[in-house]
Amino acid sequence: MSDNETTLIQKAQKGNHEAFAVLVDEHQRYVYNLALRVVKDENEALDLTQETFVRAWTALPNFKGQSQFRTWLYRIVTNLCYNRLPNLRRSLNDLGDDVMEDIPETKFNAPADEFESNETRKHLHRAIDALDANYKLLITLRYQNELSYDEIAATLNLPLGTVKTGIFRAKEQLRKSLVHLEDSWITA
Amino acid sequence: MDNRLKQDALIEEALNSQSLAPMPRSITVDVMARIQKDTRPAFITWNDFALSLVIALCIGALFFAAQNLPPVMLAKIRIQGILLYQDFLVNMRWLIPALFFGLGAFFAALTIPMLYQMMVGRRR
Repeated sequence: MSDNETTLIQKAQKGNHEAFAVLVDEHQRYVYNLALRVVKDENEALDLTQETFVRAWTALPNFKGQSQFRTWLYRIVTNLCYNRLPNLRRSLNDLGDDVMEDIPETKFNAPADEFESNETRKHLHRAIDALDANYKLLITLRYQNELSYDEIAATLNLPLGTVKTGIFRAKEQLRKSLVHLEDSWITA
Repeated sequence: MDNRLKQDALIEEALNSQSLAPMPRSITVDVMARIQKDTRPAFITWNDFALSLVIALCIGALFFAAQNLPPVMLAKIRIQGILLYQDFLVNMRWLIPALFFGLGAFFAALTIPMLYQMMVGRRR
């Protein structure tokens, strides 16, 4: 959390509307994106984003800065998503934690020429969009909102193993989709 | 194995290259309008203040009444209190174990959600 953001939060906690407006401006896109990936509807995602910031304003005096402001916002929007999709929480809990391998925290940087065509990328993006809401929530928090596994676990109040399992399984689904695409190229 | 690594690279690249969805419109104005309408609750609400004032007045009234009661009346109240306590000791002995049992059952019931979570976790 930058010093500037800390100052803005402190001002907003004292009731400064302008400071809170700056925070809303800065974070709304990430909150909206997370809501949209889960609920898949623009208007509903906008509603959830708005509700998230209204609740954040009400609860801001209780924000002690123990977590980052953005992860605190993600927790609020995720709770709102749970209300909209009652099965989401259960499906996340049901993921279990059977992935024993340690997933590296660092991002894998693929060389540009490894990406054979835009078609593969588009296919994978479509496959990501088609993932179940629980997997999409985890994937979005990890890759779009750039949270670590620990931060995701804290945000969703889930065991670390469950988060790793969820992301691992989401990638396995994407792999299946990729294999399917490669097979279709061979048979064509 | 090489193919798997290549797939990993493709998947990671696709996940990292997914762009953030653009906002259809900014919600800042809407949020600020709602915030100005619903003012944040103060440290205590007027209801809390009124309730605490009434309770404080009742306690104060009791205190002053006790201070100004005639000594005979105070002695009678004390006697009645002792008699009630004796009566309780003689006739309500069953109440103490019953209270402990009730408290025990209450605390045991509080552990049910945690036990349930543990059971569900173990089944997984």
